[in-house]
Amino acid sequence: MRAFAQSIVETVRHPLLILDLDLRVSSANRPFFQTFQVKPEETEGRLVFDLGEGQWDIASLRELLQRVADRNHPFEEVEVRHQFPRIGLKVMLLSGRAIFHEDRTPMILLAIEDVTERRQAQAEQRLLNARLEAMVRQRTAQLESSNKEMEAFCYSVSHDLRAPLRAIDGFSQELLHNYSHCLDETGQHYLRRVRAASQRMAELIDDLLQLSRLSRGEMRRQRVDLSGLAAAVVAELTRRDPDRQVEVVIEPNLAAWGDPNLLRVVLENLLENAWKFTSKKEQAHIAFRMAEKPIAESQATESQATGSQKAEGQAAFLVRDNGAGFDMRYVDKLFGAFQRLHKETEYPGTGIGLATVQRILHRHGGRVWAEGTLNQGATFYFTLPEGADT
Amino acid sequence: MSRKVILLVEDNRDDEELALIAFQKSNLANEVVVVRDGEEALDYLFATGPYASRNPEVLPQVVLLDLKLPKIDGLEVLQRIRGEPRLRRLPVVILTSSREEQDLMESYDLGANSYVRKPVDFADFVEAVRNLQLYWLVLNEPPPQLENGP
Repeated sequence: MRAFAQSIVETVRHPLLILDLDLRVSSANRPFFQTFQVKPEETEGRLVFDLGEGQWDIASLRELLQRVADRNHPFEEVEVRHQFPRIGLKVMLLSGRAIFHEDRTPMILLAIEDVTERRQAQAEQRLLNARLEAMVRQRTAQLESSNKEMEAFCYSVSHDLRAPLRAIDGFSQELLHNYSHCLDETGQHYLRRVRAASQRMAELIDDLLQLSRLSRGEMRRQRVDLSGLAAAVVAELTRRDPDRQVEVVIEPNLAAWGDPNLLRVVLENLLENAWKFTSKKEQAHIAFRMAEKPIAESQATESQATGSQKAEGQAAFLVRDNGAGFDMRYVDKLFGAFQRLHKETEYPGTGIGLATVQRILHRHGGRVWAEGTLNQGATFYFTLPEGADT
Repeated sequence: MSRKVILLVEDNRDDEELALIAFQKSNLANEVVVVRDGEEALDYLFATGPYASRNPEVLPQVVLLDLKLPKIDGLEVLQRIRGEPRLRRLPVVILTSSREEQDLMESYDLGANSYVRKPVDFADFVEAVRNLQLYWLVLNEPPPQLENGP
């Protein structure tokens, strides 16, 4: 039976000591000899505290072992840090309990788990985490301050750039009204051009500000009735332009998950574009419906790569018209701010609408891409998180 | 009869001149007093500093207040006006380039009577000034203590 117990002790990979109640070593396993660099002959039969030139003479261990020997109080995983003369600093988890020898002699089993490396790794991890957190704090502060700068910049743009424009327009108009007798037709024409340019610049400033506001503001997330929004947008377009012949087909019950104000801006821009670019068609057709087209197929024409997004949980929609369309060679320019594919004189606009659409959809985790044929029409596809009814 | 004085608080000389043209065009005979920063506006209203000899009981019919002003900005001027019992009911119209929502909300929170954004188009600006003048000087019933003009 002794061989049986001994073989168990030998099999365990942690250092183990078996002591008698006088705290003399009865036996030790190989991991003990290896870890603490002592030989069997200088171990067995000796007081544990005398081992290896007294390197186990640790006050806390003395107390723990004495309690097991005297009062049968076991201890478990007590962490002891000790500087060993031969092997340096060790952090150990010590467990001790009374056991009985086959001949019923009470003994003490002392199990030693060397956790020095684990503790070192943990300390390094903590240091690393602390550094990371400090870095995150610093970056956040930087971001917040650059956000503030951005806001101050936008405020300044909004306020200060407008004032000179007002002066240009105002004084030009006063010249036209009160001093037209001093100006010939060409001179008056130039003044009208000055006024038109100042108003155009005012529009550009407004659009630019709107674009920057879209990326700054908070976003709500709720179920949005896209069909209802689209119908409202079309009703407004019809009211503004009652003479147009436009057939608009909106698929009912389309919904998505997002910010209602922002998604309204998306539909406004897409439907207004469709409305505008069909203005030269005798019978204009505009459709807003679910896109049956698989998303992966159209990735090649996407305006800007947004990573390999899965279509799961995303619904795809399209806005299609039979208007002026565009040349697919320029599809990459479609979504850039202030990029235009048509002459200002043919179709007015600042060229910021689709950049706005793209920014909003990206903020929602969606995508937008387009297909078109010159003079035959355009289709704008976009994806949004699904607005499930449940 | 009270003289219908408009106090225009405006630091931009172009905007000042344009506003004066707009007032002229609306054909309503008002005296327009122009002050060019927040401090001067408060001096006028409180009859202090360069305006110490002014009778502080005579108040303008309406104050047109720009927000971005040197020294003391428009919102602070508004706050000081509303903090003075004598001036608490004085009609103050914010007339500014800013279309930031925050400015709009703060102005109303501090007790502005109205908020008008200066349009870039001069024709629109003239129209806005004309409406302002019509409303505040002709249609609006001023608070009682303002009728005690000289």
